[in-house]
Amino acid sequence: MATTESDLGAARRRPLAGAALQPRRSHPGPRNLGRVNWRGLWTLYLREVKRFLNVFTQTILAPMVTSLLFLAIFTLALGRGNIKFGDVPYAVFLAPGLIMMQIIQQAFANTSSSILISKVQGNIVDVLMPPLSHFELALGFAAGGVTRGLSVALAAGIAMAIFLPIGIHDPLAVVWFAVNASLMLALLGMIGGIWAEKFDHIAAITNFVIMPLSFLSGTFYSIKRLPDGWNLVAHLDPFFYLIDGFRYGFLGHHDGNLAVGAVAVAGLNVALWLVVQRMFATGYKLKP
Amino acid sequence: MPGPLPAAATAPATAPATAGGFAAPRRFGRVNWRGLWTLYQRAFLRYLKFAVEGIVGPMISAALFLAVFVLALPQGRSSLGGVEPLVFLVPGIGAYQGFHAAFENAAFPIVYDKLEGMMSDVLMAPLRPWEVVIAYVGAAALAGMTTGAVILGLISLIVPLPLADLGTVLVFAALGSLLFALVGFLTGLWAEKWDRYALVETFLVMPLGILSGTFFTLDAVPAAGREAMLLNPVFYGIDGLRAGFIGSAQASPGTGAALLAGLCLVLFLVAWRLFASGYKVRA
Repeated sequence: MATTESDLGAARRRPLAGAALQPRRSHPGPRNLGRVNWRGLWTLYLREVKRFLNVFTQTILAPMVTSLLFLAIFTLALGRGNIKFGDVPYAVFLAPGLIMMQIIQQAFANTSSSILISKVQGNIVDVLMPPLSHFELALGFAAGGVTRGLSVALAAGIAMAIFLPIGIHDPLAVVWFAVNASLMLALLGMIGGIWAEKFDHIAAITNFVIMPLSFLSGTFYSIKRLPDGWNLVAHLDPFFYLIDGFRYGFLGHHDGNLAVGAVAVAGLNVALWLVVQRMFATGYKLKP
Repeated sequence: MPGPLPAAATAPATAPATAGGFAAPRRFGRVNWRGLWTLYQRAFLRYLKFAVEGIVGPMISAALFLAVFVLALPQGRSSLGGVEPLVFLVPGIGAYQGFHAAFENAAFPIVYDKLEGMMSDVLMAPLRPWEVVIAYVGAAALAGMTTGAVILGLISLIVPLPLADLGTVLVFAALGSLLFALVGFLTGLWAEKWDRYALVETFLVMPLGILSGTFFTLDAVPAAGREAMLLNPVFYGIDGLRAGFIGSAQASPGTGAALLAGLCLVLFLVAWRLFASGYKVRA
């Protein structure tokens, strides 16, 4: 925190000193903030969550329906003849991948749209003006995106469990990869939202990066089916580790190295977090 | 034609031809062809303005679906519906993307015009309700066919497609696009906010479109689902369009075409009466 000290940080501390000097106040003084502005952080988080809950048909139900439709068409188109992946039916193999695909798309959509809409409508100042540090800003937005990702995962998972015998092999892996995936995409969404100036820009990132990666990183097939050259490429794709690790949590079967995946996604999240915090600190494309 | 004042054009068609030194109000016959053409053109130009975005998105999702199917199809599966799996899938995916574009291009402009308060421009113009419906729906159907044609054209550069009967393709492309454009028009009228538009898209258009044999044959579905599929009009649109390419259909194309045409007629009548009554467009 000391390294990101700024005018904003300094202003936050001044009231503390003032309050200490004046024990008896004749008028309401400035609010005292501790090391973390808990109330401000909570307010930002609540705004981010209420923002998507307000249109939950589009943000929770629609992804749930989409994942069920995908499950239906892929099972009907490919599952005939009882093909198996490892020792499980194709539908059961597919389910965790589809849940992860929705986490990826929805967590990204949450933070990117929130920041971009605020920028375009000009109410981003409402977030930049309050006494929130860069860390608190990043945390508030990211936590909103993570909540969206996990809510969608839970909704889609429950819906699929009605039709499929889905068991959990390793709860720790499920939680670890679900949280890290939500966080990674929430952070990417923030970077995208801050960088973008128009909705076209975000649509381009979604269409050309997020969608293809969420489709082609092993959601629908085992990575072993790829030709040799592409197998190597797949192992450089962070989304592959998210999907593979998440699937391991349910089925106990994985294609890549789990430990490497678990550490790599967490490490990437730390790096992305630092980028986001730096963007808030410098005001890149946020402050004139 | 002498350029009439816009205000004069709104006068009833039966008004006297000349009055003093003023420009005479425009006269038109049973159909206001120029007005119809103008509104139609506006609707289609709106589509063209965003055509690149409108085609790139569906194009990428079509390509992703194909890539995923190719990678996930079990090795050794060499036929789907009597042809190579890819040849079976491509027309279905192209048809679905085209139909979806028709829905979008009918619903979107109406909701937008209503929210921005521009609907009064259309209501004020000397156009009869059925002329307005035809202009919006016709332009949206053409937009859907254009999107579908571009997508199929681009994919066929990579996956060579047979073409059994161009006439069948065009008939089913037109009927399917028209159906979705009419559904889009009704959705646009009903939707007061974007939420409702998204609601119809997610819970009606997408499931009906995707579960209509775009990706699988009729006999892949359990018996109960098969009957449900045969009740789904979109199935006939996609099946008929695909038959135009691969030469064999799962349901009778004649029945399918008649069913689609009948449904389009019913929906057109509903749309016409609703718009004429001012449902959610007039205060």
